Amino acid sequence: MSWVSNIIVALLVAGGAYVWIWARSNRLWREAMRALVRRRRFALIILGVYVLIGLLDAVSWVGGDGVQGVAASEARSVIDRIFKPSIFREKSYSEPFAQVEFVGGAALTFPGQHVLGTDILGDDVLYKTLKGVKVALLIGGLTCLVLIPLALLFGVSAGYFGGKIDDAVFFVMSTLASIPNLLLLIALIMALGKGTLQVCFALGITGWVGLSRLTRAETLKLRELEYVQAARALGVSHPTIVMRHILPNLAHLVIITFALLFTGLVLSETILAYLGIGLDGSWGRMIDQARNELSRDPVIWWNIVAASSALFILVLCVNLIADALRDILDPRTLRERP
Amino acid sequence: MLAFIVRRLAFGFATVLGVLFVLFVLFFAVADPDDMAIRAIGERASPETYAAWKRNHGYDKPLLINPEYDWTSIQRYTDTLLVDHYERMLSFRFGRSDSDDTPIWTRIREGAGPSLSLTLPLFVLGLIVGITLSLFVAFFRGTYIDRSVLVICMLGMSVASLIYIIGGQYLIGKLLRWFPISGFDPDPAVIGRFLAIPILIGVLAEFGGTVRLYRTVFLEEVNRDYVRTARAKGCGEIRVMLRHVLRNALLPIITNVVLAIPFLFIGSILFESFFGIPGLGALTVEAINGNDFSTLRTIVYIGALLYIAGQILTDICYSLADPRVRLGAEASA
Amino acid sequence: MFRKATVTLIGIIALALSLTACTNDPYPGADARRKIYYTSFNEAPKSLDPAVAYDTAAHAVTGNVYDSLLEYHYLKRPYTLIPGLAKALPKREAAKDGSVSYTFELRPGLLYHDDVAFALAGKGADGKPLRTREVVAADVAFELMRIADAKVGSPVVRKFAVIKDLLEFRKRLRALRAASADFTQMPVHRQYERAGGIAGIEVEGKYILRLKLSRPDPQLKYWFAMPFTTPVPWEAVQYYDGEEGRPHFRDHPVGTGPYRLAFYEKRLRMVLIKNASWYGVRHPDWKAPGATYPTEGSAVDKRRGRLDPAYTGKPLPFIERIEFRLEKESIPAFNKFLQGYFDRSGIISESFDKIVQNDALSPEMIARGIRLEKSVQASVFYIGFNMLDPTVGAKAGLRGRKLRQAMSLAIDVREYLRLFQNGRGVVAHSPIPPGLYGYDRKYRNPYSGFDLARARKLLAEAGYPKGIDKKTGEPLQITFDTGSTSAQAMLRYQYFINSWRRIGIDVEVNATTYNQFLQKLKLGAYQIYFTGWIADFPDPENFLFLLESSSGRKQSGGSNYSNYENARYDQLYHAMRAMENGPKRLAVIRQMIAIIERDRPWIELFHDESYVLSHPWVKNVKSFGLSYPVLKYLDLEPAMRARLRKKWNAPIRWPLWIGLALLVVFVAPAIFTFFRERQ
Repeated sequence: MSWVSNIIVALLVAGGAYVWIWARSNRLWREAMRALVRRRRFALIILGVYVLIGLLDAVSWVGGDGVQGVAASEARSVIDRIFKPSIFREKSYSEPFAQVEFVGGAALTFPGQHVLGTDILGDDVLYKTLKGVKVALLIGGLTCLVLIPLALLFGVSAGYFGGKIDDAVFFVMSTLASIPNLLLLIALIMALGKGTLQVCFALGITGWVGLSRLTRAETLKLRELEYVQAARALGVSHPTIVMRHILPNLAHLVIITFALLFTGLVLSETILAYLGIGLDGSWGRMIDQARNELSRDPVIWWNIVAASSALFILVLCVNLIADALRDILDPRTLRERP
Repeated sequence: MLAFIVRRLAFGFATVLGVLFVLFVLFFAVADPDDMAIRAIGERASPETYAAWKRNHGYDKPLLINPEYDWTSIQRYTDTLLVDHYERMLSFRFGRSDSDDTPIWTRIREGAGPSLSLTLPLFVLGLIVGITLSLFVAFFRGTYIDRSVLVICMLGMSVASLIYIIGGQYLIGKLLRWFPISGFDPDPAVIGRFLAIPILIGVLAEFGGTVRLYRTVFLEEVNRDYVRTARAKGCGEIRVMLRHVLRNALLPIITNVVLAIPFLFIGSILFESFFGIPGLGALTVEAINGNDFSTLRTIVYIGALLYIAGQILTDICYSLADPRVRLGAEASA
Repeated sequence: MFRKATVTLIGIIALALSLTACTNDPYPGADARRKIYYTSFNEAPKSLDPAVAYDTAAHAVTGNVYDSLLEYHYLKRPYTLIPGLAKALPKREAAKDGSVSYTFELRPGLLYHDDVAFALAGKGADGKPLRTREVVAADVAFELMRIADAKVGSPVVRKFAVIKDLLEFRKRLRALRAASADFTQMPVHRQYERAGGIAGIEVEGKYILRLKLSRPDPQLKYWFAMPFTTPVPWEAVQYYDGEEGRPHFRDHPVGTGPYRLAFYEKRLRMVLIKNASWYGVRHPDWKAPGATYPTEGSAVDKRRGRLDPAYTGKPLPFIERIEFRLEKESIPAFNKFLQGYFDRSGIISESFDKIVQNDALSPEMIARGIRLEKSVQASVFYIGFNMLDPTVGAKAGLRGRKLRQAMSLAIDVREYLRLFQNGRGVVAHSPIPPGLYGYDRKYRNPYSGFDLARARKLLAEAGYPKGIDKKTGEPLQITFDTGSTSAQAMLRYQYFINSWRRIGIDVEVNATTYNQFLQKLKLGAYQIYFTGWIADFPDPENFLFLLESSSGRKQSGGSNYSNYENARYDQLYHAMRAMENGPKRLAVIRQMIAIIERDRPWIELFHDESYVLSHPWVKNVKSFGLSYPVLKYLDLEPAMRARLRKKWNAPIRWPLWIGLALLVVFVAPAIFTFFRERQ
């Protein structure tokens, strides 16, 4: 299966480059980007590092360096190859940069090399934390991949065509919106089963209503604009109008909502992890596993601190960026929502 | 006016039907009755036992079309799970739990009390703290207080609620020994002790988001003309804030808040299961772990029902207060 | 609805009050000086029906609510049976045809605890409906018939199949029920009568019960020291049917024990209160062995204060009320124990190093007066192979066996115990745990114990060098089914995965909830699984039967989850089962162990070691070791408890003052500036 994720990485990189080039060619977007970089330089750099780690962890292949203790069929990513988790490990807990084991005090195999210590099974905590990056980005990214097209499809068609279609979409939206979010999420995962795809799909289904409402309202406004009316009068086809005039004008809404949703998604995964329906290898799972270690005496803090800080920093950066984006792209329509 | 109320009620009812359809798809089509029977009785049952279980829980009919009847007969379409599901849910006969056969209605009735006793004070206290603090911040807008509170809010919003709970329980319960670490007892003499930690943590965890939100609302009001007029007339700043800004900003805040009320019943899933409070949230978690689909279905349904009822009430109240508000306006909101 | 609102309002006021007078005491103050024993449970038992309940959570209640005909002596080890509801131990008579009969005689004058269900038995002398009635031998027969009844779903039918006609009765009953709907409408005890009863169970008069067995069964007596065979009144089974607001019988036990279940709030608490109609309470003059504190014990018991003259020979029970509080998580529960709010507790692995140092209590715990009871539990935890599987099972022949041996040698159990159990536990080499007949401390299984080199060699010999199938070139992949999805359990499973990975085997965990796990075991669609077994009674038969073919999971739904089938093993098992302990039996047991030692249907991991802490105010503590606890022998000193709780739980308030001070320092300049500007 490793080729699937490799292809996705290639697509993502290509798509990112394309968006970059396109945005640079457009004056408005170029200025918005400059403003963003000026205001949130630091947050952007950190976010970039996260994305890079996630990408490095997504590129993987089978075999290669003949490391011992690895099942032969296993595809390993760049991160795996850097850390060599099957070798670079201890027997059990060790503190960050420790020379000896935490319990018992036996000598370590790699003294002083575990930057964030090791967990109960002796796995390097830094490695585990970095592996969590991909999962977090996956939760945010994959979910938005489900959510944004769905929201646009419903929101735009309702706003643009109005009438019966609008009524129908409005009904579907009110129905989904009237089921409390977390409950709908749980119900979906229970019915669909556990697993990355299912969880992301469920998160997507529960999240699209908000964006859909926004795009619908915005489309309603755009539809009445003179040049859209003119295009209609000239007999330009509906798909063309939507592609040319409506969607580009919704882009800023999508970007801001994406940023706001992203943090919500990553944070709600921790709740799912606590409920036992989260994703493997996520920070939520790490926190859930480590929460009992706080009750150890002497306390084992590095696991929970590593996972929760990684999560905190990512969410904080995205929050800051979202905040700035809102100011830059749209100071009025989007106020803070509960 | 009456027409509006009737239309609003009709739309609400249609939404309820829609919610029930979603539930039907999830819990009858995706996870089908055979599946549920196996998960409920588990291992070594005979086919007859499975059939009996399905009969007892009312899952023994076909989903959409009953082939036992002739195609001319209406029962071909009514004697099915779909119709049963609607009938049962709409008449509030929820039946028994899939996992331990207790009547679901009893469990929900038992769970509502503890849930409310946690979420109601949490809600009220959160509101009071949020409004007071944001009013305070808005009052000192532009000063170091405003800026540092905003930073604190941003930091606070970026912490996962699980971390708040873990940290709060550890600090207040274990290290400081102020209140019991976990547990519950409905006895009025001791109930407060158990709720103290979850409520404190709950207020703390919410505060980042609410303070930022209310602050924007207040600031928007502060710059309105009438506020300037009041100030020009020589009103003191404190008086302006309390008499004019707070009163006018309360409306949008309340709208926001009213929609949150139904969620009170469901309780906080995380808090209840973490602190061992036997409310509806903990019931939900138990239903997840026990594959108890019928209970889960009912909880989701009741949650949605309350939400819809809350919305209808708000809309009606609004339209009584302001006749311009009508269904169409609500639709574009 | 109004009442609920009032309660909520009171709650809010109470909250406000408690903020000023904060305390972490989870119980109402008035209870502090009563003899109430507090303990915890983490999930409401699925069933308290004595014919069905077969897990430790349920036995914690049924063991105290239902008395059995026989009991174990509280102090004596090895376990010694004493009469409970029976007048004496059963009489055994062997007939010429090889069959055997046991005769029990019940004590006259025993009563059930007070319950409305007995109205079905008629009216008393005063014309009011009966609230209790005498316990008779027919009630025990009724319970045995319930075990045989397929509809009740007892998990131990097989164990009682040795009683003549029991399985035939089961079939007759089923046929009658299938034949007519009227039959199923009758009360259950009438149905049993109509099905002719069980010929192997004879009731003579009110108090004599005779069991006729088709072959000798030395273990059967132990089953009469478990709640399975307690007398059950038919009135309760009929009355508590779950209809019209009445609970099910499984949630409303009606029994003969020293306690009765007074409150059962599944998501909050279970409260047992002293049963006023228990024979020990009504007739202390009987000095019945099951209702009197023992006068004999070992020197250790004497030293440990278990033979205090204040208690020996005194009528039981000492504690008036037992409260089980729901604690889903072990850590808060343990913290509450340390605060003095639970009276006894095991030690969670997170806190072990603080509590126990150098295999003894830490000075801090000793200073608190806490006592420690250590005992190896009669249990075994193991990883089993499904022998029906084409890769790891019997079908793979020699290859499969070598693969199993290799996987067994790859696991370092000692390290596992160190990581996850603080070294608590005894490494297992056979299914038989220490303390049971047939356990050999010196025995070492040559195919277990940690040896990577040999494991790799065996794996290569099995045709999977470095985990790659030589024939196909495909990597070997195995799934590992487990019955818990908690984060903590996942770490444990990961340990095994890592172990196998070291020799190159790729194993994937398939963790589900316990119920789904059992479902998979039933369908036989699994390769390897992880589970444990705790002794029901002190005999090796209770462990060796887990690999006997007639209780194969797939075949009969029994407890042999590995579906292990070995004709020689079965033959030896049947011989062993009928033997009394002695050199001959030991030889047979050795042979059985030798078979599974090489065949490896299981990787035996460890025998659990239990460490139980008790506070100084709990008296007469002794670890019971079998699957259900006995609380009637315990006593408490509430005054001491109240004093120590207060001492240990003084809240630390200074951070609150510091926090407030910081807040004032933060806000003051702004307010100051504001007022200055206004002037």
